Formats: sequence, structure tokens, C-alpha cells
Amino acid sequence: MKKMILLLAAGVLSVVLFAGCSNGNTSSSKSDEVKIEFFQYKSEAIPTFAKLIAKFEEENPTIKVEQVSPPEAEVVLKTRVMKSDIPDIIGIGANNNFKELSKAGVYKDMTNDENLDNVQPAYLQMLKDVTGLEEIYAVPYAANAVGVIYNKAIFKELGLEVPTTWDEFIAVAEKVKESGKIPFYFTFKDAWTTLPAFNVLAANTQGDDFYDELNKGNVLVGTRYKEAAEKFVKLLDYGHKNQQGVAYNDGNTAFANGESAMYLQGIWAIPEIKKANPAIDLGVFPYPLTNTPGESNVVSGIDLLLSIGASSKHPEEAQKFIEFLLKEENITMYIQEQNAFPTLKGISQEEPSLEGLKESFAKGALVDFPDHYIPVGVTADQSLQILAQNKDVAAFLDTMQKDWEKVEDRK
Amino acid sequence: MKKASPTLTPPVNSRKKAKQRFIKKNWAFYAMVIPAVLLFATFHTFPALQGIYYSFTNWNGISLEYDFVGFKNYLHLFKDKVVKDSYIFTFSFAIMATVLVNAISLVVAIGLNAKIKGRNFFRAIYFLPNILGVLIVGFIFNFFFTNILPTIGERLDIQFLMVNILGSEKYAWMGILLVVVWQACAFNIILYLAGLQTVPGELYEAAGLDGANYWQQFWKITFPMIAPFFTINMVLSMKNFLMVFDQIVAMTAGGPGHSTTSISLLIYKGGFQGGEFAFQSANAVIYFLLIMFVSIFQLKILQKREVDM
Repeated sequence: MKKMILLLAAGVLSVVLFAGCSNGNTSSSKSDEVKIEFFQYKSEAIPTFAKLIAKFEEENPTIKVEQVSPPEAEVVLKTRVMKSDIPDIIGIGANNNFKELSKAGVYKDMTNDENLDNVQPAYLQMLKDVTGLEEIYAVPYAANAVGVIYNKAIFKELGLEVPTTWDEFIAVAEKVKESGKIPFYFTFKDAWTTLPAFNVLAANTQGDDFYDELNKGNVLVGTRYKEAAEKFVKLLDYGHKNQQGVAYNDGNTAFANGESAMYLQGIWAIPEIKKANPAIDLGVFPYPLTNTPGESNVVSGIDLLLSIGASSKHPEEAQKFIEFLLKEENITMYIQEQNAFPTLKGISQEEPSLEGLKESFAKGALVDFPDHYIPVGVTADQSLQILAQNKDVAAFLDTMQKDWEKVEDRK
Repeated sequence: MKKASPTLTPPVNSRKKAKQRFIKKNWAFYAMVIPAVLLFATFHTFPALQGIYYSFTNWNGISLEYDFVGFKNYLHLFKDKVVKDSYIFTFSFAIMATVLVNAISLVVAIGLNAKIKGRNFFRAIYFLPNILGVLIVGFIFNFFFTNILPTIGERLDIQFLMVNILGSEKYAWMGILLVVVWQACAFNIILYLAGLQTVPGELYEAAGLDGANYWQQFWKITFPMIAPFFTINMVLSMKNFLMVFDQIVAMTAGGPGHSTTSISLLIYKGGFQGGEFAFQSANAVIYFLLIMFVSIFQLKILQKREVDM
């Protein structure tokens, strides 16, 4: 009993002490100190932003930045918007949620912001395409990309070259399979892991007027996704036995341990793979989807964009923070630590494992993720999960078309 | 009796006083009851009414404005294949789970009620799953099905076990059913055990003298005597299994495809992630009515049976 009381007393004392600390801080600081909230959805980027925020606060002692990055951040953000409790700076991806929030008037209009002049035009166009609006509500900050991640050691061992055409690609997969190794480590227990590969296939085969028709109200998935679905099914031949039963984390570990020669994921998986096996020698090459080398585009989307809440009480301070993040040295630090691609002109990603995608970025052979345009209610990932299991292309196309029309219909 | 006793028929003018005394005496009880009612109304009834309100709009969950659309959401609900499949899945799952849980619990409870060695040890073991967190159990079994079972299958060369059944469109429900039944049995066993202890021992002695075998004793004595416990177990488990959510989130997230998407999971996913708040609110209203109907129906039938026995 005595011990309990002692413990309790110690606990109370320490709380009082800490409270004292924070009190001391606020009372000693200037009265014009401003606190802004920075809400961002990438939990893996928390440490990087913490460093950047510390640097910013040092340069701007009157501004305090609070970083908020909860799990299921986009759901949290939506519920906060429902309550009209909108953060000062919001960082999410350019996806369907961004579209909904833009249309709902959550963000400040940044169309005339000078900072946008430094952004690669392809990404600004992407923002407009995603929202379907003429105004621009965010500064694209970092981009990701999808390529074929491959184990260089296995390629060397089997004497394989990086393929540049679809036929070569399949031949490489075939050779890996013959050698008894797994060509692609699929992880379809997590439905979304079907999307990276399918996005590349769809983006390159759906036709240039797909989105134009979509904006006119014509959903064309039923016919335009046919080639993508067929090629996707072809790739499934080179998977492994338990590909329906393992999840994303299992896949990262398995690839890191050299269980497969290739891994069809986005570059965001690379830090995770390196965590599991820091010594792995890996590279990335763009999907070759046609038999003309260099014809296929790399899928790259805006992974993180920065916008200001329309109802922010401190828009100037928020603007200042965004400008700070956009400085070359800071953005370089971010893309290096997060293995991302820059969206600004004149900055390049020098990471050796991403060498294979550099050319596509340099010549701007980029397209956005098609799934950013599919309404979430269509659940494309879950339909793909079934396609991966049944390999029934016709049924998949039918489901996609019907689900999409259904969701549009009941809006 | 000429003089009416004042306690039995108080004069009119003292009735008010009596009432005041009554309130005074019972204020403590009101203080106990009212806060819970207020909390329930604020955090349950009011949001439920709001949900009904939204089910007649086209609100997507975030936009600042929305319109009334009447019964449009309800009409679309009946046309939607995903919704239909989730109802079929949830109801077949709930019926299977209810039957299994009650059959297994009853058998185990009879065993635990018998005079066997280490009875308390066994009771503790069987009750253990009930105190574990549902999500934690789901994650543990997820790991078990993904990593341990396939390894065992590989060693023993059993084709069926070599791949994770949670990844199969046809069999994923079995994995979930197994975990749900295993965990739900704990509580039902306790209820049945309590019921079995209310059956007087003399009945069995008399039946034994009359030459009834164990099977006859069970059907003629035990089962009718624990009828109220059977009723409550059936109703509670059916209701719980119709609302199955956590285990599915932890194990399959509703996949592969929509094969293990229960109604509550669909409402959560479609409403909060899919931006179809109003549509799924309509779904929730229908779901609520159905669960209420099923529970009342079960109570009526089973209570009638209790009386008949």
C-alpha cells in the first residue's frame, strides 16, 4: 500500500513538473507566437518532417508548427472536415479524397501562387485532371512511381538483362521460372497490392481520350481495360503458389530475402525492403508494355501535396512554412530520406537504385495512376483480387463497368 | 374494521406528501439511472436519428451542401449486388455460427458440469478466449493462417493446407467462422453452465430409477429445464454474429473480393472510405430493422417453446 502511494505521489509530481515546464515555455516566449497545425498522411515521413520543422522553428522563432499524422489519416481528415475543424496545412496525395475535399471548398485557392511556377507542368496538369477543376488548390511536393523492382544479384546469377520489350519481359520471367525461382512475388491478400502493376498496364493501354470521355460522363472501363486485364492475367502465370494468401509486409520480407527475382510494387516499398535486408542490391526498371523499346510511360503520381485550409486563421504563417519546405535544400532532404521523386524543376533524385527510372523522368514520359480517377466506391482493388484468383477477364470487365456506372448513378 | 388504516388509504391531502416522500426516498435511484439514459440518448439515440435523416440525402460525408433525395438511396440499395451479397454472406454466416456455437457450448458445458477431475482448470481454459481482445485474436489467427498453417501443410504434404485459406474466395469464410466460433463459445459455455446448475439433481435420480438412459435424460429433463438459457444464448449469439466486424477486419478486410464482406463492414467501408455516407446510412437503417425483426422473432418463437415444454 505504502509503495502504491509513493508511486502515485511520484507520478503526480512528475506530471506537475512537466506542466511546470510547458508553462515556463509559453510564459517566457513572446506573446505574438503563432501555432499552426501541419496535418500529413504519410506516417513514414514523420521523422523527416520533424527535422524540417525543428529547422523552420529555429529560423522563425515566433511560429510553432505542430505535426499531426494519425493512422487512417484520410478518414480522420474527413471526419474533422465534417466537424469544420480544418488544419492549417494539409498534406495528402492527389487522389479521389483530394478531389472531394477540393470540391467541398476545404482548401485555399492557390492558382496564382508564384511557387507553382517551379513545379513541373506535368504535375500541375495531373492536379487539374484529378479534381476536374480549373483552379489549383495545392503545391505538388513529392511524387512516387511504379516500376519493376528487381534483384540485381539474381539477374546476374541467371545472366539476365533488363528487358526493354514486352516479349523480352515475359522471356525473362520464363527464365526465372525455369531456374526454380519465383519471377514475381505477388501479395494479393492485401487487395491494394494488385493496383501498382494494374495501374501501369491500364495507364498505357486505356487510350488517350479515356479521361476526356470520363469527364463527359462516358465510362469506358468495360472495353478499354481489356488489354490491361489480359496482360495482368499473363503476369499471374509467373507468381507463386501462395500469392493469394500473403500480404504486403510478407512480400517485402520475401523479396528482401531473395525469394523472387522481381517485385511489382511502387518505389515506396524500397525503404521497407532495405529495412528487412540492408545489403540487398536492387534496381528498378520501367515496365516494357509494347514491343517498341522506350514506348511505355512510367506511372508516377503526386504522393504528397501541400495545401492551406481555407478557414485557416494563420494563412501567412502557413504559406511561410510551405515556402520553407519548397526550398531546394529541404526538398532534397525530403526526397532523399523518403526515396521519392521531386515535383519541382531542376531537382533530381540521385539514388542509385532508382537509376532505371531517371530517363523516363528526364524526358517526362509520365502518366498518373488510373486508380486516382476511379471512385473509391467501385472497389477496383477488390475486383482485381478476384481477377487474380479466377483469371476471368470478361467477368472482371463486366463487374468494373457495372460497379462504376452504379456508383455514378447513385451520387 | 371501522377505522381505515392510514397506510392503506391515505387521505387526499396527505397523498402529495406521500409522493414527495417517495421521490425523496428514491432520488438516489434516479441519480443512478438518469445519467446512463442521458449518455445513451446523446451518444446512441441521437446519432441513430441523424443517420436516418442522412439516409434521405445525398451527402457524401464531407461536402458542405447536400440535397434531399427521398427514397433514392433505398431503391439503389435493393439493386446493388455488393449489398445483396453482403446480406447473404452475413446471414448464412450468422446462422452457421449460431448453430455451431450453441451445439458446441452445450456439449462442453455438460462436460464441465460433470464431476470430473480438474474441473475448475478446464472451466478456466474454456473461458480464456472471452477475455482476449477480439482484434488481437484476429491478428494472431491471421498470422497463424498466413505463416504457420502453410508451413505445417508443407511438412505434412497436405495440399489443402499449403496455401492460406484466408486468401481463397471460396474458403476464406471458414477461417473466420473457426475463429469466431472458438472465441464466442467461451461466453455461451458459462451461460449454459449456469443453466445446468439450476437443474435439481433429484430429477436425474428419479429418472435413473425409472430406467431412463442418458440420452432420454438429456432430452426430457436437461434440455427443457435450461430452455430459458437456450433462448437467451440463441438470441444473443445470432445478434452478435449478424454484427460480425472485428474479426473480419483483422483477418481478411472483407476480401478476397467481397467474399467475406459483412454488412457492418460494408457500411463502415462504403460510408467512411468510399464517400457514400448517405447511401450506407440507408443500408444501416435497413440492417437495424432486420436485426430487430430477427431478435423479436427469435424471442417469440423460443419463449413459446419454453412454455410448451
